[in-house]
Amino acid sequence: MAISPVVARGMQVVDEGGVLACEEVSLAYVDGSRRLTYALRDVSLTLEPKRFYGIMGPSGSGKSSLLYVLSGLKRPTDGTARFGTFRYSNQSDGEVTCLRREQFGFVFQQSFLLPYLSVLENIEVAAPKPGTEARRRAQEYLNQLGMNGLERKLPSELSGGERQRVAVVRAMMNDPAVIFADEPTAALDRMNGHRVIDALAHWRQRGTLVVVTHDPEMVADADEVLHLRDGQVDERGTPAEIALAEAQRATAATVGSGNR
Amino acid sequence: MRNPLSAITYFQRNPGKVLPMGFVIVLSVFLIASVATMVNSIDLTISTIYGYTNYYTYAVPQRVTLRVPPDQLAVIRKDPRTDRTIDASIFFTSIKTVFGRFPFVVLGVTDDNRDYLMKRVGTELLPGGRMPAEGMPEAVLSEPIAANKRVKVGDIIASPNDPGGISGSPIPVRLVGILKGPIWIAFTSKSFVDMTFLTSPRSVIFTTKKPGDLLALNDDLMPTQHRDRGRLSPAKVQLLSRQNLIYELRDSLSSMYLIMTIVNGMVIFVIALMSGMLSNIYFTQRLAEFAVLAAIGYQRSQLLWRVVGETLLLTLAGWAAGAVVTFMALSYMKGSVFEPRGLLINPHDLFAYKYTIPIPISITLFAVATIAVRLSRLDPVSIIERR
Repeated sequence: MAISPVVARGMQVVDEGGVLACEEVSLAYVDGSRRLTYALRDVSLTLEPKRFYGIMGPSGSGKSSLLYVLSGLKRPTDGTARFGTFRYSNQSDGEVTCLRREQFGFVFQQSFLLPYLSVLENIEVAAPKPGTEARRRAQEYLNQLGMNGLERKLPSELSGGERQRVAVVRAMMNDPAVIFADEPTAALDRMNGHRVIDALAHWRQRGTLVVVTHDPEMVADADEVLHLRDGQVDERGTPAEIALAEAQRATAATVGSGNR
Repeated sequence: MRNPLSAITYFQRNPGKVLPMGFVIVLSVFLIASVATMVNSIDLTISTIYGYTNYYTYAVPQRVTLRVPPDQLAVIRKDPRTDRTIDASIFFTSIKTVFGRFPFVVLGVTDDNRDYLMKRVGTELLPGGRMPAEGMPEAVLSEPIAANKRVKVGDIIASPNDPGGISGSPIPVRLVGILKGPIWIAFTSKSFVDMTFLTSPRSVIFTTKKPGDLLALNDDLMPTQHRDRGRLSPAKVQLLSRQNLIYELRDSLSSMYLIMTIVNGMVIFVIALMSGMLSNIYFTQRLAEFAVLAAIGYQRSQLLWRVVGETLLLTLAGWAAGAVVTFMALSYMKGSVFEPRGLLINPHDLFAYKYTIPIPISITLFAVATIAVRLSRLDPVSIIERR
């Protein structure tokens, strides 16, 4: 039996220009030694529409957790996340899934393409209404990103970089207000990483882009970078400002250790 | 243009995952339908051997007398539905059945009564044969009986050397003709039986003016389950009617049918369990697929319907293929194993295929129920992060 994507159910999203925000959001979990650990703690932030945001920070700082809460893939333990005026932290799973379907696009660290579907079919899966029109649009996106000729190939016949760029096109298929990318270049070499970021940057004029990465180079073109540490946003600024702050922190750490 | 997430697309592109499960279903349908058909061949054998009871009924004296008492005969004759009563002396010839050697009655009647009965049941003598001569150890048999016994005109069909002594014939009886018609029937001359089988009880055969009245008359004379409530006395006469014969045989086989039902139930349960587990293994292999679909906005209910559709389609296709395989295999066996031995089997027996209907239903229910639980607990993030 074939399934069709969710059609719009009249979700009460008062645009506010597509503002994405979270208010005093915490995300706690019980770790292996049965202690309550916070991945996020009282995070409040607002992301303006049609801007490119980078989320950086050391491992375990809560970058991916923040992305999952903002995108509705995880429910916060406390606080709320909202898109426009639609507060989805306490909504039913069906409503949040509907929000993701209609307003958000996703790129993960791995492409997660369905191995038995062709490139074109993999992209079509994310379309609001699969069919001839969806395929035409998918083909158009592939052409724009210089990937024509790959349409009928299976994921196993593509390189890692090509697979990830197909995943980027898939994220664009529902014409989302926000694309979330969780370390989309982590498994790629530098050249392919840049290609993926370029493909994502293509989207900037049409919607918000939120990219989690370890690599400052990948968010060099971002409008703003949020730096997380211990589940909290400790810096927020342009890529250059964040890079400078990082360098100062590294220098201070080096000097501090030298004085000891 | 087909939806990329349609079940057909998945099946076409993943034969290695779909075929083993389909094969299990085909085999299970084949197993159950074959066993059911074989068991039903017993019933088929019974109703075929006793096919003549659709046309006439035997009244046999109880052992204390050799003849049907006159008062009992009068009851039958006086019924306005009765067409003719015929004095019959009988002996038996043995036939092979799925449940072993079985006696088949050879009717000794006068020539005019034989001609009447043959006309009544629509049977005629095939060229190359003749009717038994008066007083001679000769008989004619229907084609399927001759095939069952593997005899031809000129062969001996009953003798003192019969296995199990079923015929009880003190002298060899020769086949002189073969009959063609819709039922199994055999004739000899009445004078031969009367002279040869001195202690054999003499029966009475009766027919009705309208053939459709026979069963009702049987019931009036001796109801199947309340024999003492009929117009005949069960102490004096035994009525070998269609209802009585089939009831008695089915009653004696009821334990076997019960055992078969239990075995079937157990097989279906085990198959459903195995197939459900197999479905779960395949689902586990596809967890990332379902996780990413859930992440990009497919509702859990949509994903569940996808599983339902795939499972239902696969089980139905497997069931249909299993039914076709069973039909072909049984048809082959009928032609190559059963018929040459005169045994009966019916590959068209719908009852046997009905026995297999619980297979797709139970597999679908089991697989869908377990996968539904897993889908309800599906956390896309944990799967995406794990990889």
